[in-house]
Amino acid sequence: MAHQGEHNRMTDNNGGGGNAALLALEIEDLTVAYHSKPAIWDVDLTVPQGVLMALVGPNGAGKSTLIKAVLGLIPRAAGSVSVFGKPYERARDLVGYVPQRGSVDWDFPTTVLDVVTMGLYGGLGLLKRPGKRERELAMYALEQVSLQDFAGRQISQLSGGQQQRTFLARALVQDARLYLMDEPFAAVDAVTERAIVTILKELQHRQRTVVVVHHDLQTVTDYFDWTTLLNVEIVASGPTDTTFTEENLRKTYGGSIATVNAIAGGDS
Amino acid sequence: MYGIEQLLVELATRLASIEAVNAFFRDPRTTARVVGVLIAIPAGMLGSFLLLRGMALTSDAISHTVLLGIVVAFIIMTRFFRMEPDLSSPWLIIGAAGAGVVTVILTELVQASGLMKQDAALGLAFPFLFALAVIFVARYVENVHMDEDAVMVGEIGVAWANTNSHPIGDYESVVITADDPRAEIVRRCVNCVRDQINPRDPAAEFIEVCSNCGEYSPGEAYRAGFTTVRPVLVYWPKSVTVALVMALVASLFIAIFFKELKITTFDPELARSLGYRPTALNYALMVVVSLVAVGAFDAVGSILVIAFFIIPAATAYLLTNRLSRMVALSAALGSAGAFWGYDLARGRLFGVLPLPGDWDTSISASMVIMMMVLFVVVLLASPRSGLVAVWARRRRQRRTFVDMVLLGHLDHHINRVFSRESLEAHIGWQPEKLAAVLDRLERSGRIEIDAGRINISRRGHTSLAAFRASTT
Repeated sequence: MAHQGEHNRMTDNNGGGGNAALLALEIEDLTVAYHSKPAIWDVDLTVPQGVLMALVGPNGAGKSTLIKAVLGLIPRAAGSVSVFGKPYERARDLVGYVPQRGSVDWDFPTTVLDVVTMGLYGGLGLLKRPGKRERELAMYALEQVSLQDFAGRQISQLSGGQQQRTFLARALVQDARLYLMDEPFAAVDAVTERAIVTILKELQHRQRTVVVVHHDLQTVTDYFDWTTLLNVEIVASGPTDTTFTEENLRKTYGGSIATVNAIAGGDS
Repeated sequence: MYGIEQLLVELATRLASIEAVNAFFRDPRTTARVVGVLIAIPAGMLGSFLLLRGMALTSDAISHTVLLGIVVAFIIMTRFFRMEPDLSSPWLIIGAAGAGVVTVILTELVQASGLMKQDAALGLAFPFLFALAVIFVARYVENVHMDEDAVMVGEIGVAWANTNSHPIGDYESVVITADDPRAEIVRRCVNCVRDQINPRDPAAEFIEVCSNCGEYSPGEAYRAGFTTVRPVLVYWPKSVTVALVMALVASLFIAIFFKELKITTFDPELARSLGYRPTALNYALMVVVSLVAVGAFDAVGSILVIAFFIIPAATAYLLTNRLSRMVALSAALGSAGAFWGYDLARGRLFGVLPLPGDWDTSISASMVIMMMVLFVVVLLASPRSGLVAVWARRRRQRRTFVDMVLLGHLDHHINRVFSRESLEAHIGWQPEKLAAVLDRLERSGRIEIDAGRINISRRGHTSLAAFRASTT
């Protein structure tokens, strides 16, 4: 991969997590609207390099929308996005995306290894087919998520948790610097959740920045060292210790205060 | 198109004698099969992608709306550019491709309004475009063979008769100009139609025009009597050329963009995040689908085109779990259906089994029936997902399960003595079912029956342990 050298240099220069000198993601004044109804409204957000961040908010808060707007999957009404100091469009290969599991057809005629190999298609030019090298890299990524024995399986034969790990492996194989994950914990069992958390911590250990759309408020403090609370607008963003507070949760979730109390009470 | 055809003729006559080439295509069977297969190959390959993209019905819509493209291009050519009406002109094909894209755009616009789902959007867009086409045909297109029959079921049966004749060797074409002694000069009334007057009316004005001027190919010149030299001709069916070009274009498109088509079909969001352009590729795919639909439209009519795209692809989908194999299998299955479909139209199933009675029926419809026969065979007999295999697997699982229920019971109450009667009372099965299960277990040595007393054997214990391990 042409950018490998560059990646390593970046890793060496910015050893500590949360180094503010170089921001992994910088969003300014980002607004996205569906039919002139704002889904996210004038969002300013900075994510330092090396953090494991939870993006939390109620249903319809625009969490997935925010991620998709960063990736240019839906049009931005206003605002700009830069990744490691460059506009996203020029830093595409630094970003890995894990979409929601339900976003693809799992009956598609393809194998687990093949799906993971697709993560490398971005580096292949026109007319170039994935070859031995790509398959080896994909196999290595499958080993990291303990799916090496499933490489030749048709993807419809996987359980939900295995499908989620396949998507993770596809992102890992990209060897990106910033990962954006849309609900990787949705509908997986406790064992898979543990396995995914281990992978996320491992990524953070390797100075990768990970942004995760997350729903389970109970686990935020255990899993993430950085938290952003979103409800169309940014409510708060920063280290989980200081951000994930009862007051901020109340502001984010509004009406459903009883739940918030229970959770915040349990955490503090 | 004519230039490409000359190349094909050149190639064919190098590979075989002129007589052989002429004999080959003069046979209606061969020409119909060649055209059918040449349409089935690209349609089957493209159909695989349409099926996986959830766009199966789009091919049906496009196969109808290409008519609008053809008609509009035809009107522009004849009315605005005063070109000769010619149904095999590349301009008509370009018009058809444009209509395909317009169909998709219109559908997406209706869908983007958020008021209609995709199927309804298609149902709104394509009949509208098709209806426009039908009105334009009736209103503006004259003297051209474009009847309802052709639109319904195509002309694959007469493809052999619709040929261009290519002279082999050095024959010159003949040009007749107005001052040529062979030119026929006729008087034509210039204001009769406009002023609605009789040519005998004194007010009628006449000009002299040449009725047979123009360029004649050597074959035409010989037939018209302008020359006594009889050229050696190859009669090449026009639809073979059209179908072959479409097949080549589609194959090239899929070969070049296979990786791109695959990733944008499976996960367009990932594709976009990696810098691919799914929308552009989707339109490119629709253009190629439209091109193939034009060729198919001419041969099999607009209604049956969808069958060529979807039935072989659906059959291939049941047979494999690799996209590349699905695409190849789909082309092969479509070809087989087209090939045997001709035989079916003439009363022979799979080319060998004679069907009773006198058969001389629609070739295109028979090709579709044959593809459907292959689909049903695969649906029933596919080793992995076929209904027969699934049924057999379920039956096996059910049997294993009842065996294990009985073994489990014997194992659980290992210290008790069981007879048929006591088991019947405990487990609550019908005597016949219990007898069958006991019989099966005894034959496989998993229980021992000794003077009416039923005991689980060592093998029975092993079998039960294995089952327990496999289910936890």
